[in-house]
Amino acid sequence: MIAEPRHIVPPGMLDANLRVRGRVPYAIDVVLPGMLHAKLLRSPYAHARIVSVDATRARALPGVHAVLTGPDLAARDDIFPYFGPIFRDQAVLAIDKVRFVGDPVAAVAAIDIDVAQAALDLINVEYDELPAVFNVDEALEPGAPIVHDEPRRLGQTFADIIVRAEADTNVCNHFKLRKGDVERGFAEADHVFEDVFTSPPVQHVPMETHNCVATIEAGIIRVTTATQMPFAVRASLAEIFKVSQAKVRVTTPTLGGGYGAKTYTKVEPVAALLAQATGRPVKIHLTREEEFVTITKHGVKIQMKTGVTKDGRIVARKSTCLFNTGAYADIGPRLIKNGGYATGGPHYIPNVWVDSYAVYTNLPPAGAFRGYGVSQAAWAYETQMDMIAAKLGWDALEFRMKNLLEDGQSVMTGEDMFDAHFKELLTTATARIGWDPAEEPRRNGSKVRAKGFACIIKGTVTPSTSTAAAKLNEDGSLQILSSAVEMGQGAETALSVLAAEGLDLELGQVSISRPDTDVTPYDQGTSSSRNTHSMGTAVGMAVADIRRQLLALAAEQLEVDPADLELVAGRVQARGAPSTSIAYGDLVRASRSGNLLANSVYASKGGLDPETGQGIGSVHWHQAAAAVEVEVDLATGKIDLLRYHAGVYAGRIVNPVQAELQTEGNIAFGLGQALFEEMVFDGGQLQNGNLGDYMIASIEDMPQEISLGILEHLESNDIHGIGETSLPPAMPAIGNAVFRATGVRITDLPITPEKVLRGLRARAVEESAE
Amino acid sequence: MTATDPSSPRTSPRPVDGEGKISLTLRVNGSAERVRARPNHTLLEVLRNELHLTGPREGCGVGMCGACTVLVDGRPVSSCLLPAALAEDHELTTIEGLEGPNGELHPIQEAYVEHTGFQCSYCTPGFILATKALLEECPDVTRDEAKAYLAGNLCRCGSYVKILDSVMDARDRVRG
Repeated sequence: MIAEPRHIVPPGMLDANLRVRGRVPYAIDVVLPGMLHAKLLRSPYAHARIVSVDATRARALPGVHAVLTGPDLAARDDIFPYFGPIFRDQAVLAIDKVRFVGDPVAAVAAIDIDVAQAALDLINVEYDELPAVFNVDEALEPGAPIVHDEPRRLGQTFADIIVRAEADTNVCNHFKLRKGDVERGFAEADHVFEDVFTSPPVQHVPMETHNCVATIEAGIIRVTTATQMPFAVRASLAEIFKVSQAKVRVTTPTLGGGYGAKTYTKVEPVAALLAQATGRPVKIHLTREEEFVTITKHGVKIQMKTGVTKDGRIVARKSTCLFNTGAYADIGPRLIKNGGYATGGPHYIPNVWVDSYAVYTNLPPAGAFRGYGVSQAAWAYETQMDMIAAKLGWDALEFRMKNLLEDGQSVMTGEDMFDAHFKELLTTATARIGWDPAEEPRRNGSKVRAKGFACIIKGTVTPSTSTAAAKLNEDGSLQILSSAVEMGQGAETALSVLAAEGLDLELGQVSISRPDTDVTPYDQGTSSSRNTHSMGTAVGMAVADIRRQLLALAAEQLEVDPADLELVAGRVQARGAPSTSIAYGDLVRASRSGNLLANSVYASKGGLDPETGQGIGSVHWHQAAAAVEVEVDLATGKIDLLRYHAGVYAGRIVNPVQAELQTEGNIAFGLGQALFEEMVFDGGQLQNGNLGDYMIASIEDMPQEISLGILEHLESNDIHGIGETSLPPAMPAIGNAVFRATGVRITDLPITPEKVLRGLRARAVEESAE
Repeated sequence: MTATDPSSPRTSPRPVDGEGKISLTLRVNGSAERVRARPNHTLLEVLRNELHLTGPREGCGVGMCGACTVLVDGRPVSSCLLPAALAEDHELTTIEGLEGPNGELHPIQEAYVEHTGFQCSYCTPGFILATKALLEECPDVTRDEAKAYLAGNLCRCGSYVKILDSVMDARDRVRG
C-alpha cells in the first residue's frame, strides 16, 4: 500500500506541546456570544406512557429562553424528530413513551446552567407506568412487554448492514452465519461442550462527556461537537430538519476520549432544535451521571457449543448470542453481526452456526464500544477453550496451536485467511510469561500465583469508505484535508507521517485539517480501528496524485523524462544529477494553479451474504494475544496482576510510541472489564452511575510488569488497526489465570473477589462431601 | 487526593447582586482576578466560565477523577468540589500558570512531552499539577510512591505506563 521505502518515525504526538500546556481545544471550550446552556429532563421510569407534559411554569422562569417537549416535536411537520444510524427509533425527546430510566423527555435552554436546572424542576410530566423488561431472556418470552410497538423505521444506512428485524417482538435484529454443516460436524466430534458466558453492560467513561454547541444562522445549522463521526451527525441533522446535507455544517475539534461512545448522533439534535427555537447558540454538556445512560457496551449472554475430536481438532461450533441492545438500536444491529461472527474465533473450524440477536430492553441504549462485540465473543470462546483443555487434560497452549488459523484456511465468514500471525503472537506471549504446562500454581501463605493466556481475531468494518484531499502550496507546504477525528490515538500524527513520506517532506511541512463537513471530504468515521489503514490509504492515494503532478511539471521545467526524476527533500531532481532540480514551490508557481490539488477515494470491498453470513467479513483480520500472571489471595479473593504481555499484529508500525500507548491503554481498559467494571441496575435504575461508585482502572491497578509485542511485518505492505485489537484477549487471559490459581471457573464477568470466594467455598463444600 | 478545607477568614455576609452573585477576588497564577459568582459556584466553574482558563476540566463532578486538579497553596485540590468563595486568600495555580511567559515548558511538562505521557490529554493538566505537588513534597519519589500518589488521577486512555515514565523523568529534571 505504501510504496515509499523511507519511513519517518515521529516523536510521539505532533501537538504534544499544546497538550501539556492544557491548550489543545476541545468542544467544551467553545464559547460563543449570547450562548445559552441546555439541560435535559429525564424519565424516572424504565417504561411508561407519557400522558402529558406541562412546561408552562418552566417557560415563565426568568432566564429561560425555550423549553421543548416530545409532544411539541411530534406536532411539527417541518421536522422528523427521530434519529439512529440504522433504525430511526430514538426520538430527540421521548414521544408517546419513555423506554429507559434517563430517557430525555424535555429540554431547556437558559442563560446559564443554574437557571436551566431550576427550570427542569418546574416541568410537570404525567406518566402511566408500563411493565418493563431488563434482561434478554425476559424480553424474548412470549407475552413480554414490547419496547418498540411501532413499526420499524429503517433509514438510509451503511453498505455492510444486514437487517432482519422481527415485528411485534423485542428482536431488534438477527444475524445468521452458516458455514459448513454444523450437525455433521458435531456427529464427527468425540467430545461436545456446551457452556453459557455472560458479560455485563459497562460504560466507556471518556473523560470528556458528550457535548456540543449548535447555532442556526442564515439557514445553516452549524454544530461543533465531540463526535467520532462528523458525517453521520451531518446526515442525521439534515434528516431531522428536512434540509439538504449542504445546509448542515459539523466541525469537530480533538476529543477527550471516545472508545466508541462518540460514534453516531447523540446530543446534537436537541442542541440544534434549541438553537432554532431561541435564535441563539446553545451548548449542551452532559454530566457524568448522564453520560452513563447515554450509551453503553452491550451486556450479552452467549451459549456456545463446541465439538472437538479426540486428537484435539475443533470440528463444529454453534453459538447463540443474545446482545442486550437496550431501549434504542443505535448501532446494535451491526454490532451483533461483528460480535456474532467473532464467536467463530481465530481457529480453523469447518462447521460454524451462529444466531446473534440484538434484543430491545428497557435499559440505556448499547452501541459501539472499543472491541465492538469481539470482547464479549472472545470472553466466551477463549474461556471455553481453556475449559475444554482442562476437562480433557490437554495443554491449553498445544490445543490452541493445533487450531489457530493459518494462511489459506477459511475463517468463520468463509474467506481464506491471509497474513496470519496468531501462532507467532501466542507463542511469544506465553514465552514472555514463562508458560510451562507442567508448572503448578505457586502458593505463598494465602496467596497463589498462576498464568493464563488468550488469542483473538477481530474484523474491521467492511466495506467502508474514506476520502481525502491534498493541497500543495506555493511555498512547498502540504495540507491534507481529512475528516479523521483526533481522539488521542494520534490520527493526525500518523496521517502526517504517511503524507510526508509520500512527498519526501519533513513532518513540519505537513498539516492535517480537523474535520469540517463544509471543507474536508467524506469519511465514514473514526472507529473500528480503521483510521490509519483506511484514511491512511486515502491520504497516500491523494499524495501519490500530487507526486505525479510534480513529476509531470518538473519534466517540463527541467526537460528530463519523468522516469528519470525523483523526489528528494522537497525538490524534484534528476536521478544521479542533484544539480538539476527544482523546488516543489517553484513547480506550483510554474503551474499557475495557485496550488496543486488532488482528491482520493478509498472504498474497501466485501460484505456478507444475509442468509449465510459468508463472504468477505473484513478487509484484513486484526490479531492479538495476551498472557498474564496473576496472584489471588485465597482469603479475600483479591486478584493482583503481576505480569502482562500484550501481543498485537500491526503490519507496519507507523508511530511506535502511539502504538505502545494504545496497547497499554487496552491493558488498562481490559483489566477493568475483567476485574471490576459493571453497570449495576435495579428495576432499570442504574445504581452506580458516577465515578464514586463505578470504578475504572487507576495507575495502581496496572500490572506490576508489562511487556508489549507489537509485531511488524513490513513485507505484508499493509497497516493493521491496533486501537482495539489487544483489548479482547485481556478478559479471558485473566479469567484463565484465575482458574489455574484457584480452581474457580468464572463465566460471568467481571471476576470479582466475591465470585472467587463464593467459588472457593463451593469447591470446599464439594470436596468435603466427597 | 482530597480537597483542602481552607476556612474563610470573613464572617460578615457579602452583598449579593440581582443575579444572586457575590464578588470575589481570586489570586490565580500570580495575578489577582476579580470575578462574580453565585455562592454555590465551584472554583472549577469560575476558572473556566469567568476566567476562561480551559486547562482545568470537569471529568466526574464528584472529586474522583482529578481532571479538574488545581494547586491551592501548592497542594492539589479537586476544583470541582471547592466553592470558589473558599478559594479566596489562597494562591491558586492552574496548568496555564506553569509555563513561562512565552509558552516555555516547565521541566515537568517537558518530561510529559518527552515520554508522551498522554493520549487524548484531557486529564493531562491534572496529572502534571499533581506531579508538581508530588515532587515538591517528595523530591526523591520512587516509582511505587508515585503510583500511590497519582491513584486519584484517572486516565481513561490508560496512558499510565508513560505517565509514570514522565514522572520519574520529571523528578530527575526538577532535582537537577
